[in-house]
Amino acid sequence: MTADTISAILVSGIVLGSIYALMASGLSLVWTTLGIFNFAHGALMTLAAYVAWTVSDGAGLGWGLSAGIAVSIAALIGAGILMERLVVRPFYDHRDILLITVMTTLAATIFLEKGIQLLWGARLKQLAPIWPGKVELFRTAISGQEMLIIIVAPVLLGALAFFLRTTRIGRGIRAVGQNPDAARLIGIDVSRLFIITFAMSAVLAGLTGILLGSVRLVTPEFGAEPLVKALIIVIFGGLGSLTGTILAAYLMGLVEAALTFFIGIYWAPSMIFLLLIIVLLLRPQGLLGKVVR
Amino acid sequence: MSDPANALEVDGLRAGYDMSDVLLGMSLHVGPQERVGLFGPNGHGKTTLLNTISKVIAPHAGRVLFMGEAIDGLPPQQIVARGLIHVAQANRLFPDMQIMEILELAAFTPRAQADRKANLDYVLGLFPRLAERRRQQCKTLSGGERQMLSIGVGLMCAPRMLMLDEPTLGLSPKLKDELAEAIAEISGRGIPLLLVEQDIAFILSLVDRMYLVDHGEISREIRRGGEVDHQEIMNMYFGADGAR
Repeated sequence: MTADTISAILVSGIVLGSIYALMASGLSLVWTTLGIFNFAHGALMTLAAYVAWTVSDGAGLGWGLSAGIAVSIAALIGAGILMERLVVRPFYDHRDILLITVMTTLAATIFLEKGIQLLWGARLKQLAPIWPGKVELFRTAISGQEMLIIIVAPVLLGALAFFLRTTRIGRGIRAVGQNPDAARLIGIDVSRLFIITFAMSAVLAGLTGILLGSVRLVTPEFGAEPLVKALIIVIFGGLGSLTGTILAAYLMGLVEAALTFFIGIYWAPSMIFLLLIIVLLLRPQGLLGKVVR
Repeated sequence: MSDPANALEVDGLRAGYDMSDVLLGMSLHVGPQERVGLFGPNGHGKTTLLNTISKVIAPHAGRVLFMGEAIDGLPPQQIVARGLIHVAQANRLFPDMQIMEILELAAFTPRAQADRKANLDYVLGLFPRLAERRRQQCKTLSGGERQMLSIGVGLMCAPRMLMLDEPTLGLSPKLKDELAEAIAEISGRGIPLLLVEQDIAFILSLVDRMYLVDHGEISREIRRGGEVDHQEIMNMYFGADGAR
């Protein structure tokens, strides 16, 4: 195996890992805080790419990329808040909230995917890259956009960790996830923090969609594959641990890149599931997960 | 009974879980700067009463006045903002957060934030052990340390009144004495207190007045210096026949 091959595997693994980390951290944040899985996380990612395309592209409004990104992020904040209101909030007091919200968020996914298809049609879209052209990383040529993803993901995730660790609202979000009743007794408005958490998670999904929308082709099912990967990663990394999720995302990216190289794109996905099954047999709580919850 | 000077007034409160009421019309009051005890066996509604006042659970009927204003319609964060602070029983707080993080976070309402520095100094002076372990995670604390942290969290909320639910549950006699001293020091600052306890000696050493709780109602009120009828307490715990 030549140095070039190793470099190619590493670089494509890091690109994949960065995308997965962005996607999975939003999912993990909602799980840790609200105790539910948002299956519509992928559809939010798709929605962000379409909104950005419509605002920025010449075939749409043609306002340029910056406007597209800004409008898309604003729209995703609204979409996150709306989704919490409509499909999660009515069931907070219900004992089976976890199972109910699996169904309601899956329903929201179908609604969003079909709605997008109705509004934008089935024709493939692609966003203009934020960073056009090619760059070379460790002797491997990648697109500027992929380089951007490699740089932006750790910055965003670092900012998220900093926010959760040091700010009043961020610490409040962690407290609500660990013990909502105790959080109420120190004066935290729990439902307000649930809304903020959902909006933040939606923005993370949206940013993934915007970044990936010029690397891959955007279809109504654009977010489906990243969602499945993100779900695997959140479980693999350990439920309730954001660090575990991020670690698992990069690990998964590298493993997928290596498997794709050695055994081909056809078998790689099933091998990843096999790997997950083995890990969960040995460590049921995931890489950094806690046993409780 | 209604006196606007009272810190807390509870009138005919009914509440419970699911369909059955645990509180069957409970009425009591806590005067300004007064220390009041609630004593009675498990399952007779002491914790339910505090949970209902702080709105962890919703009342079915009755009124709650705090500093002369009705609070029974308010959400929990607004009750905390007004300064009525409930220190819950055996609270595991936030397992994965550090002591210092939790204390700083507990000053969450704007009013508590304004007093954060002074309250933090006070709490760390009152419980030096918390200062020694400021970087330790909450889940690794002993029962006594966690109880100190719980009270510290209550103080960081800038209380105008404290409701403490069995602060000495499961603690050693030595730790009980330490906590009793701390609670006496806190109420010495003029903060009215509603104290739930099972330890009759502990409660009598700390309060001006005490209510006996029996089957979701106040069965008797005992003033300081008034006689505690041990037979009556025995009856509450063991039934009228068992105590003989």
